[in-house]
Amino acid sequence: MKNKLWQLIAILAIVAMALSACQSAATPTEEPMTEEPTSAPADSMDMSYLERAMAGEFSGTVVTMAGPFTDEDAVKFNNSMADFEEKTGIDIQYEGSKEFEASISIRVEGGDAPDIADFPQPGLLASFVDSGDVVDMNQYLDMDALKANYNQSWLDMAMMDGPDGEIMAGVWQRVNGKSLVWYPKDDFDAAGYEIPTTWDELVALSQQIVDDGDAAWCIGIESGAATGWPATDWMEELMLRTTSLENYDKWVTGELPFSSPEVKHAAEVMSDLWFADGFTYGGRAAITTTFFGDAPLPMFEDEPKCWLHKQGNFITSFFPAGAEAGVDYDFFYLPGIDPQYGNPVLVAGDIMAAFADRDEVKAVMEYFTTGASVEGWVKAGGAISPHQDSSLDWYTNDVDRGVAEIILNADSVRFDGSDLMPGAVGSGSFWKSMTDYISGTVDLDTALAEIDASWPK
Amino acid sequence: MSKKASQKNQKKISNILVNGTLILIVLLWTIPTIGLLVSSFRTRDAIATSGWWTVLPHREWTTTSQIQLDEDTDLNAPIVVNGVAYEDDALRDGVALGDGTQIKWQSRRNRIIDVQEKEWAINSEYTLQNYKNVMTGKTYEYVDSEGNAKTEQGDDMSNSFLNTVAVSIPATIIPILIAAFAAYGFAWMKFPGRKFLFTTVVALLVVPLQLALIPILRDFVALNLNGTYLAVWLAHAGFGLPLATYLLYNYISSLPRDILESAFIDGASHFTIFTRLILPLSVPALASFAIFQFLWVWNDYLVALVFIGAKPDVQVMTMRLAEMVGSRGQDWHVLTSGAFITMILPLVVFFSLQRFFVRGLMAGSVKG
Repeated sequence: MKNKLWQLIAILAIVAMALSACQSAATPTEEPMTEEPTSAPADSMDMSYLERAMAGEFSGTVVTMAGPFTDEDAVKFNNSMADFEEKTGIDIQYEGSKEFEASISIRVEGGDAPDIADFPQPGLLASFVDSGDVVDMNQYLDMDALKANYNQSWLDMAMMDGPDGEIMAGVWQRVNGKSLVWYPKDDFDAAGYEIPTTWDELVALSQQIVDDGDAAWCIGIESGAATGWPATDWMEELMLRTTSLENYDKWVTGELPFSSPEVKHAAEVMSDLWFADGFTYGGRAAITTTFFGDAPLPMFEDEPKCWLHKQGNFITSFFPAGAEAGVDYDFFYLPGIDPQYGNPVLVAGDIMAAFADRDEVKAVMEYFTTGASVEGWVKAGGAISPHQDSSLDWYTNDVDRGVAEIILNADSVRFDGSDLMPGAVGSGSFWKSMTDYISGTVDLDTALAEIDASWPK
Repeated sequence: MSKKASQKNQKKISNILVNGTLILIVLLWTIPTIGLLVSSFRTRDAIATSGWWTVLPHREWTTTSQIQLDEDTDLNAPIVVNGVAYEDDALRDGVALGDGTQIKWQSRRNRIIDVQEKEWAINSEYTLQNYKNVMTGKTYEYVDSEGNAKTEQGDDMSNSFLNTVAVSIPATIIPILIAAFAAYGFAWMKFPGRKFLFTTVVALLVVPLQLALIPILRDFVALNLNGTYLAVWLAHAGFGLPLATYLLYNYISSLPRDILESAFIDGASHFTIFTRLILPLSVPALASFAIFQFLWVWNDYLVALVFIGAKPDVQVMTMRLAEMVGSRGQDWHVLTSGAFITMILPLVVFFSLQRFFVRGLMAGSVKG
């Protein structure tokens, strides 16, 4: 018996060793790169990094990337990069992780940073810029070309404070729109409703739906540890619509406190819409207990129980499998409130930041500033390009094209504020206090004061 | 009643109490697992709309007839149905009528009210799709840059399964071997500083491993070890050693002194005693620690993520599982089947090693 145990252990050990030998050796991510010395022709100095890469100068090099998108998104990203990899010979090794936010901090601290990281939350990137780990893109990229290819808002949002002054921390590669209201198109048309173009019309439509016997809005903000984030999106939408862009920017940076009249007013507009009698499906109590992904499902029942749902374009992946865009559902732009603030659009997106300054890394970064870098993903569906040299023809489905149009036609574009705020607020007290307020645990003034108190000094 | 009979009764009652409590605890522990197992065979929509217990026969409200109210019924006033006025809120939740039926809004918009009766029902829609998705990888459909619709098969579990095996087995054996030597040394060898060293090892038990991640990562990067299996083996071995040493020390130090002394008198060296006596006698302790360590490494996500990373060719199964739910968690339903598939090998390990520590090896050893 004893011998058998040892035999078993020995066999297991041998199997394990053999397995690990069979696996394609897990090579260290930071391969020492034999940097091609200046053997390149002298005129290469006038060429941009991207042009040099396209000329094959960096062929055979490896650029490591890390980011939060996994699964289907990772497949689409890898496919959209395939063309570039083929032309330049640069091997882009993307590593997606569900725990990206945690792992990137450990890896940067531990000296194992990827060459390029994809940040959906610029606030997180700002902390690495602050510690001086991020390469300043201003030094390597042609600013005139960037200005020509991006809406100025995007460039402004990439500027962050480093230890040696402000740097351009990264480039925007993929964005998504948030100011969208989804509705069950077939039933909506059958009921004879009209798409509202002003806030008053939206409120009137909501009242109409309630009078007709259903709830107007499908709202759910439950999301595990991140419960409350959809409410912060609403707050940002209403801030953009009820006060100036300057105030919004000040609010995001902490200069305008949550307890100020502007922010409180935005919260009241939200409350008026959500808590009005019968406006929200399930009533106020159901908002904090409904999973955000399940929230739109009552729209798709035979007879919709609620008719309107505000969420970013990603929400379509939570819709029932058979639901068809343009038939079962469609969307409209969440209208502005005060005409003097126009039609703002709330967006989110992925900013690519470089942690290494090797030439091939710069070439890949430069590639990300072109629409071509996201073209494959746009065509595959699920991504929207912020680049001016992208074409609306690339969008193969009406939803993505419609969102892209909304972003292009916006009077102003602002980034999801909670992603820009310091982590303790943007992914902490802001979520939590909004949840407490909506569930009725605390009143609005207390909730806003709590967020102010948590702002890092 | 005689004294004997009352004693017998008492024994019976205490037996029932103990067994009843045990059954209750077992039920509490297994019901969530059973729920997960049932859910793993249900479709996403079914999981979202009805509980797993509806697969058992149960009574639920079924509509038997409908009442069409007047189209102009005022929804804000009490609703009159068959001559009785009801509150609107009550009608949303359903109002029991006393004769076993209830009335409930079917559609407020169309002023239709359902009359429902409780009937036996059973939910019998099952699917193997969740298991297929996990075993063979999901199918992605997208349009490539030339505009052709393409489908691509995602990664299946096999690669990450092999990776996890390649990580877990050495990461279990290495700390056990080292800890067994160390425990023997602390228990039976006399050397200066023994107590101090042992206290240090035990004190390390309270150091959370998260604290050591960044310093170790720096060392591994400096040694060019990061991203290799050796790195993660060493990390797991290091994190597991304090507990292993402590557990094995407790066991080995309690072995009867007589056996070791007789061996010393016969001229055995420490090494002979260790390999010929201590190891065979410690099999129960070794096996139980092996189970702990194996399960810990098998379920580990953080250490593997930091030291070997999440690239598809090296990622372990916990990462594959986490990725399966999609970037925004939209495919949460595949986790149910994924959880069961990843459970298989740990269960095999548990049941095969369990025999070694259930059997009291010590019983016959001193007599011999």
